[in-house]
Amino acid sequence: MSTLTLETRNKRTMLIAFGMALAMLGMGYAAVPLYDLFCRVTGFGGTTQVASASDAAMAERLAASAGGVSYSIRFDANTSRSMPWEFKPVQVTDTVAVGQRDMAFYTARNNSSVPITGTATFNVEPEQAGRYFNKIQCFCFTEQTLQPGEEIRMPVLYFVDPAALDDPNMKGVEQITLSYTFHRASEADKNQS
Amino acid sequence: MATTAEGFDAHHEDHAAHDHADHKPAFFARWFMSTNHKDIGTLYLIFAIIAGIIGGAISGLMRAELGAPGLQVMGDVVNFLGGDGASFDQQGHMWNVLITAHGLIMVFFMVMPAMIGGFGNWFVPLMIGAPDMAFPRMNNVSFWLTVVGFISLLFSLFVPGGTGMGAGVGWTVYAPLSTTGSVGPAVDFAIFSLHLAGAGSILGATNFITTIFNMRAPGMTLHKMPLFVWSVLVTAFLLLLALPVLAAAITMLLTDRNFGTTFFDPAGGGDPVLYQHLFWFFGHPEVYIMILPGFGMISQIVATFSRKPVFGYLGMAYAMVAIGVVGFVVWAHHMYTVGLDVNTKMYFTAATMVIAVPTGIKIFSWIATMWGGSLEFKSPMVWAMGFIFLFTVGGVTGVVLANGGIDDNLHDTYYVVAHFHYVLSMGAVFSMFAGFYYWFPKMSGRWHSEFLSHVHFWLFFIGVNVIFFPMHFLGLQGMARRYPDFTPAFSYWNEIATYGYMIMAGSMIVFFVNIGYALFAGKRAPGNYWGEGATTLEWSLSSPPPFHQFETLPVIEDHHSPDDHISEKPATA
Amino acid sequence: MESIDAMNFGAIARKKLNLLALMVMAAFTLSAVPQAVLAQSGEVVQAATAEAEETLVTEAEAAGFDYYGPEMIKGQPTSSEEDLWKSMNFQDQYTETGQYALWMHDAILIPMVFIISIFVLFLLMWVMFRYNKRANTVPSKTSHNTVIEVIWTVIPVLILVVIAVPSISLLADQYETPPEDAITIKANGYQWYWGYEYLDNGGFEVISNMMPESDALDAGLPPQLAVDNRMVVPVGVPIRLQTFGADVIHSFGVPSLWFKIDAVPGRINEKMLIIEEPGIYYGQCMELCGARHGYMPIAIEARPLAEYNAWVQSQPGGMTRAQIEAEEAAAAMPAPAADDTVEVEGVRPPVSSMEDAPIAGEARTQDTSPTT
Repeated sequence: MSTLTLETRNKRTMLIAFGMALAMLGMGYAAVPLYDLFCRVTGFGGTTQVASASDAAMAERLAASAGGVSYSIRFDANTSRSMPWEFKPVQVTDTVAVGQRDMAFYTARNNSSVPITGTATFNVEPEQAGRYFNKIQCFCFTEQTLQPGEEIRMPVLYFVDPAALDDPNMKGVEQITLSYTFHRASEADKNQS
Repeated sequence: MATTAEGFDAHHEDHAAHDHADHKPAFFARWFMSTNHKDIGTLYLIFAIIAGIIGGAISGLMRAELGAPGLQVMGDVVNFLGGDGASFDQQGHMWNVLITAHGLIMVFFMVMPAMIGGFGNWFVPLMIGAPDMAFPRMNNVSFWLTVVGFISLLFSLFVPGGTGMGAGVGWTVYAPLSTTGSVGPAVDFAIFSLHLAGAGSILGATNFITTIFNMRAPGMTLHKMPLFVWSVLVTAFLLLLALPVLAAAITMLLTDRNFGTTFFDPAGGGDPVLYQHLFWFFGHPEVYIMILPGFGMISQIVATFSRKPVFGYLGMAYAMVAIGVVGFVVWAHHMYTVGLDVNTKMYFTAATMVIAVPTGIKIFSWIATMWGGSLEFKSPMVWAMGFIFLFTVGGVTGVVLANGGIDDNLHDTYYVVAHFHYVLSMGAVFSMFAGFYYWFPKMSGRWHSEFLSHVHFWLFFIGVNVIFFPMHFLGLQGMARRYPDFTPAFSYWNEIATYGYMIMAGSMIVFFVNIGYALFAGKRAPGNYWGEGATTLEWSLSSPPPFHQFETLPVIEDHHSPDDHISEKPATA
Repeated sequence: MESIDAMNFGAIARKKLNLLALMVMAAFTLSAVPQAVLAQSGEVVQAATAEAEETLVTEAEAAGFDYYGPEMIKGQPTSSEEDLWKSMNFQDQYTETGQYALWMHDAILIPMVFIISIFVLFLLMWVMFRYNKRANTVPSKTSHNTVIEVIWTVIPVLILVVIAVPSISLLADQYETPPEDAITIKANGYQWYWGYEYLDNGGFEVISNMMPESDALDAGLPPQLAVDNRMVVPVGVPIRLQTFGADVIHSFGVPSLWFKIDAVPGRINEKMLIIEEPGIYYGQCMELCGARHGYMPIAIEARPLAEYNAWVQSQPGGMTRAQIEAEEAAAAMPAPAADDTVEVEGVRPPVSSMEDAPIAGEARTQDTSPTT
């Protein structure tokens, strides 16, 4: 038996219990950045990787030894329902050698009569390709504003990491779809409504 | 009574006298500012019954709507709730409101308050030999938070929620349907109601953990606690660890809805799938929160009416702990079709199936407890036996659904509805009725009618099976959940399910008649009315127990087993 | 349970027979054009015809397209009046993974379910009979038996392992990735209808709304499952089916193809689908998406590749793969961009009818399809 009074012990237990609950509450919020980090690191959910130019150069050197295996890349474009843009890839598919840098273009056109700012979300399918799909440069990294009727071409500079060839989960993957969805940026949304 | 100190005996034998033990406050102070665990338990039970009537009436409207193809009832419901001339979309929305309300009410305002708030408050202190809960005032706060939460949920029915009045987002409140997809304050009120109920439950869980850890009678080690107390302890930890995650998730929903954050909105870089991960990280432990206290009650009841100690006590206790722990790492089996990669799905398939093992241990241990016993089929026992069988049926269909590849076809169909009603509407609810009949004379001091209790059991048993068994067929055939309407090919089994509801509703009338009979004309119940099988501490007290019990703590001695805290001398082998 | 045997042992032999029967049926259907036109709500066919005239497609087949009539419905729930037993089971499966999954369910899971439930029921009956108060007045005090406790831990583990093996291999099968030349179709979920985008055939989008119930009944089609414009797909070839949610989460579920995948806003999901037989397969939205969640059915019409191509050409902007390749070869001298230095200006932009993609605020049930 503890020498402490019951009241003290009760308070202590209560504080520990509340501490656990608070910790879990914190975990709930921490899940947002952690999930994001987890997805970016592991490619979970088909999250693509961000690479620097030097990564790309290294990948290219590695790819030289990979023997010129290539993937078909499909470019997919979506707009959310509140987004009056016409958004589409210039090219639907392309073939790219593993490790090779490639550039693809999308076009977006603002069909409405007001300037609209859009942000893009993205993922790749099949999902296991996410951790090998590297983007060096992408319109999705920043918001885009289009004037009424304006049309722009937006580039994506990417490469497929040669490490994909060593991953058993990537066996049988012949085509990787890179998908973008344009949303009306929330602030713009508020200003206009 | 050899182990109870003298002072207590005095109270016990003389409880008619107005000594301290029976000094009750006046009506308002007693029921609105109550700090007495038994009174709060009673309040919780009354509240759960009221919520159950409302939730059950809503399911009646749902079954009426689904009795035949077409929309028959929803228009009337909209009009009844203050609309006029419901449009097609308003009717569809009303359906979604009803399924949401049914789910939330039954989970947060019926099962949880009854199991944990009602039976937990009443019997955890009695079973561990404590005079009251550790924090009586906090206990009161827990209860009233739950009540206010319920009122907030009911209020949401009468404010705009998008296409019509009320929150029509499902009990899961998935974003973005619950954010950008539902304009109007109804969803905010529904979310707020979860906040309140959740806060109440977290306070309650803290209270139970503190009470069980610190206030056990001398000699009552953890390994001598009755299994019901174990079950409440595990449940309290699940609540403490799971509910804050829900609170975080729904708070983020609330800020997404009202303050322009984009936690779950892809337009701002959020991910709606993250909400599902957070929700089910709470949601899966939640289903164990609803069933574990039931497991505990069934263990007490089976042992009592077999007149045998529980078979494999330690296995039973740690099986519950195992279920609680594994329950935290299986959540994504609710999300098999959301677009998980193959490895994730394989992991969750395997992990989910693991839960079947401790559950199997419990089922077989209950049967082994009865094996060799001297069974008496009193009303709690028939409910407990019904529970064991129906929970097994719900459990094995759970193993079917655990397979990610099979679930691709069954996900969000009536098969899932059938499964979780077998484990909850028959698992949790059967155990609640078992517990109710087991302890009702203890709580009220008056006998219910055993005859009516048996009638209630058989009607209810037939009714719920007729409702939910055909739902397996509908699910296999591909009928989707949360549909107000269906193609005529689904008519037959839906019609049968609706008849089942009528039988079930009839059984509930028997239940209420039985309560009424007991309260107004029931025979007085003695302290230990179940006889020699009932050996936990609450049976050492009068029925109802004195307002303040155990003013001198009972002592648990070495010869006492986990199931037997009151026998006079060492049990002979 | 009948279907276990069918799937398992007689599958190959039966499939050949089925195929023969189907070809006969298909021939019959084609010869019965007027009936088919009547059966399908006439406007669809007419609209397609009218539309075809003003598009660039000049192929002869495109003049009109005969959609399947109700006799080709394969995937739909069975009513109990028709066949009680079938109404209590899974729908017949028309994909290989579906047949495997059905076999696993019927041959492994169902016996497990019944054996365990009946075993527990039997034990309960036995203790009620043998150990009731009258039969056994003196209860034993046994509360431990290590051997039996180990047994009832280990045997469930073994049962689960037996289930896990086929379960894991089923998952692996379901996650096979589509080959490069699979035909890509994207199912867009909207509140409350589906849009099917034919990404490899010019990028046109077919908007599919539920057919009014009276029309469906008139046409002999199942109400609440029938749609105005079906999702036409090729049979026997891999389809790369992608899903996208334009507003809230929807789910593309077709029970007879053992296929279900959520359509989530902000991302696409992808799964391979190979339908084995021509026919009509009904499905529904399987994730709560608002007031008309119950009224956005899916109808897939699976046609032999040649007929699929003919259908594609009947759609505005629809082109077969061969046509696209021919056009690309003619229009573009440089090969498709191989690295970032190539100017992509000369590459043909895909023909698209995306201008008509639905936007918020439009009447939801109004058919926004490019074909009307």
